[in-house]
Amino acid sequence: MRSRTGVPADTVWQQLTEHAASLQDIHLAQMFADQPDRFARLSRRAGPLLLDLSKQRLDGRTLGLLGSLADSRDLRGWINRLFAGEPINHTEQRAAMHWALRVPAPQPSPVQQQVQEQLDRMSRLVERIHARQWRGVTGEVITDVVNIGVGGSDLGPMMVCRALEDASDERAVRTHFVSSMDGSQVSGLLRRLRPHSTLFIISSKSFTTIDTLYNAGTARAWLQRTLGDDPAVTGCHFIGVSSATDKMDQWGIPRPNQLALWDWVGGRFSLWSAIGLPIALRLGMQGFRDLLAGAHQMDEHFRSAPWRDNVPVLMALTGVWNTNILGIHAHAVLPYDGRLKYLPAFLSQLEMESNGKSVTRDGEPVATGTCPVLWGEVGPNAQHAFYQLLHQGTEPVTCDFIAPARRYHEGRHDAAAAELLAQHELALANCFAQSRLLAFGEAALPPGDQLPMHMRYHGNQPSSTLLLDELGPFALGALLAAYEHKVFAQAVIWQINPFDQWGVEMGKRIATETLELIKRGTAGGDMDSSTNGLIDAVAGAVDRRRRLRG
Amino acid sequence: MHLDIYGDTLTALVTAATLSSTGHQVTLRVPAGQVADDLDAGRMPYQEPGLEAMLDQQQQAGRLLAGSADEMPGDRAEAVFLALSPAALPFAESVIDQLALRREHSWLVVNQSNFPVGTTESLQQRLRDGADAGVDRAVIVMPEMLQEGAALQSFMRPSSILVGCDSDWAEVHIREILRPFNRLRDVMHLLRPREAEFTKLAINGMLATRLGFMNDMASLADALQVDIEQVRMGMGADPRIGEAYLYPGCGFGGLNFSRNVMSLADTLESSGVGSELLEQVLLINERQKEVLFRKLWQHYRTDLHGKTVTLWGAAFKPGTGRIDNAPALKLLDALWAQGVTVRVHDPKALPTLRAHYGERADLLLCDDPYEAARGADALMLVTEWKDYWSPDYPRLRSLMAQPLLLDGRNILDPDFVRSSGFVYYGIGRQ
Repeated sequence: MRSRTGVPADTVWQQLTEHAASLQDIHLAQMFADQPDRFARLSRRAGPLLLDLSKQRLDGRTLGLLGSLADSRDLRGWINRLFAGEPINHTEQRAAMHWALRVPAPQPSPVQQQVQEQLDRMSRLVERIHARQWRGVTGEVITDVVNIGVGGSDLGPMMVCRALEDASDERAVRTHFVSSMDGSQVSGLLRRLRPHSTLFIISSKSFTTIDTLYNAGTARAWLQRTLGDDPAVTGCHFIGVSSATDKMDQWGIPRPNQLALWDWVGGRFSLWSAIGLPIALRLGMQGFRDLLAGAHQMDEHFRSAPWRDNVPVLMALTGVWNTNILGIHAHAVLPYDGRLKYLPAFLSQLEMESNGKSVTRDGEPVATGTCPVLWGEVGPNAQHAFYQLLHQGTEPVTCDFIAPARRYHEGRHDAAAAELLAQHELALANCFAQSRLLAFGEAALPPGDQLPMHMRYHGNQPSSTLLLDELGPFALGALLAAYEHKVFAQAVIWQINPFDQWGVEMGKRIATETLELIKRGTAGGDMDSSTNGLIDAVAGAVDRRRRLRG
Repeated sequence: MHLDIYGDTLTALVTAATLSSTGHQVTLRVPAGQVADDLDAGRMPYQEPGLEAMLDQQQQAGRLLAGSADEMPGDRAEAVFLALSPAALPFAESVIDQLALRREHSWLVVNQSNFPVGTTESLQQRLRDGADAGVDRAVIVMPEMLQEGAALQSFMRPSSILVGCDSDWAEVHIREILRPFNRLRDVMHLLRPREAEFTKLAINGMLATRLGFMNDMASLADALQVDIEQVRMGMGADPRIGEAYLYPGCGFGGLNFSRNVMSLADTLESSGVGSELLEQVLLINERQKEVLFRKLWQHYRTDLHGKTVTLWGAAFKPGTGRIDNAPALKLLDALWAQGVTVRVHDPKALPTLRAHYGERADLLLCDDPYEAARGADALMLVTEWKDYWSPDYPRLRSLMAQPLLLDGRNILDPDFVRSSGFVYYGIGRQ
């Protein structure tokens, strides 16, 4: 039986454990008192990103030891294998080349040519839609685009579109996102849209995702009720983004409306590919290319910077330190900018789907704990929700505070700039105050106040702060790529494959079987007693309803 | 009086001709452009009955002189008229600024241009800045109410004269200038400048709304298989409605209906004031400009790639070579985006089109309407020039690749077109 905090008997792990013991009794407030230049020593910059690790419970020696850990796990070699396009996703015999989507043109390799070709196709689609020359089947101009996807085909584009709404292209059309399997989003949205002027993007790497295909079917039926069932309706009102050309053909999407991606792009790493079409529709192609450029800069930084200056690697190693050495198994993502509303959900998927694993690359049970439970919310709103637990609960939690330094300086905010700037400053003040209070506890308060027990803050809760110059396409690209590489680097330390997701496959399969029973109207005792009971209860509710109607 | 008139609009020419005919000494200053070129070449830019003769007469009598629009009026000038196109607001401002520099000079400026509401007052502010004490200066507005085709008559025998003026001094002068046209009874209506401008906006808005409404009805008529032309005549017979401005069509253009003119001035707009109805009317009109494209798109089942389409008419209305906000522009963009080659005929607008788009392989400008139809998969009638009212159908049929006729102005008889072997689409009629 593996202990979550238990570490292997390697020398480095042992050294880390001993080192942690030596720091155990030193409160973060004390660390700051002992070391006045702690911020200068423990903050790093990479392009538009500033990473402040000074409120983590570690010191310079910790980073040195963690660097040795990275070496002992051959992180350098794994980075090389990643960027060489080796099939490091070994359970699916695939490479993981999301980085290749961000390499600027022109590059001679066949992969880069494919990438650029799809970017060019994307660019043509975007231009046609922005020029108001994409026509519905009746010749009307498309005014609304609905992205139908789920998981990586939904969260990434939606998160980025929301985050960069201030960078919208002035010709942008309205974009909407539909993902939920139960149809609640699609039904609400379709009531507000006109079939004549609505275009759907079906975004599914495999083009077999049941959630997406059901939503797409509902959308098509909605169009056909008004526009008729001529195949041209599908031809004019659907774009497909998938690696499965044949399945898009079968669904009726004409070739010119198809965008391709490849099996070497994982869903949660795919917003840089044609899956990012809604982003390009929002930002324009230049904005999309800026996003890619920011990520590419981070790729280069990740490949070349030494561990002690390598922002994604430091994020990864700090996480390993907290999880495996300090035994903290919860991590909160707290953006202090409402535009990053969907970032916590996006990172939950990125980290937990990648590193929520318990078997090593060699097929053995992992010796250490892996990905912590990760969640989050826009910081100022979360202050009114779960911060109580962060400050005074019994469960330790590490935090990433994320904020842009500058905001509201763009021309478009002219009229209300002064008031909005004041709101931004208020948010920044709260961001810095919360991480300070978490770290210092009562030591952050004016001296001399003796508080009753229930009002005390014990502090000593570690957090990192990520400060962006401003939240624009380039900086966001860099931020997201940093998290992607953090995830990869942690997977290397934990010796797991971050690019597969076998844990989500089986559920899909047995749902198919269950659906048969629900349609039949009775479980007939074929399943476990809980499932039998639930299916029969549903059938009973349906029957009662029928009787009431006579 | 000595009067200077700046402008290239029909109003500028009519004002110059009629005022000089009553004994005023008029200098007409036409800014560089198509109209100035026409006049220089001895062509009449506007086909207005009697206008050319009257201009010639007054020039011969020595009361009407041509001056440069780059020069300022002489010291004897008693009033300056601005009869400019809506897009020429910066030019108007520069004229005002130069007048303002002559600190000791009194100026009466009469604005006849279709500028946004509030412009006259802001021009007056500019004019008064820096004037010597005791010098009279005013900018007043006299919105043009010309009926094209009877422009001279409507200027000289007006049923009403709308003047926006907030200065007694200016009122005395404008009354004197217009006295010969205001004799039988006093039809001059004095309002504040912005009220006069607003009245003009309201009139344009009403006319646009009527057209927008009829286009909306035409779309319904299409769906209900009703002939909108029958409906139009029935409606027009009701004296509460009247016949004017009830013609459905493929959208109206021209500068008077531009967003700029139909909106309130920026100063007012920042207070959040705007007309929702006019916004909608303009939006519907923009959609309507593509109605022929939509019919073509559906006819060819969404595939227009490689086709050839003929446009008859590009000007925003017959009688002019101008293409400002013309439906033809939106049609060209829409057709080109689908890979269509377009052949255009227009009696006057071809030079403007050439200047606007330059040389391109998918645009052919034809001097002859039948040459334009050669090899076409469709003919779109966009501007109702008289030249197009009675086409030679057999000749068209033999020239065109596909006998398909889209009548954007409902000027042809659908049954006769069909019996001539064409597929016909009108606006709100099958």
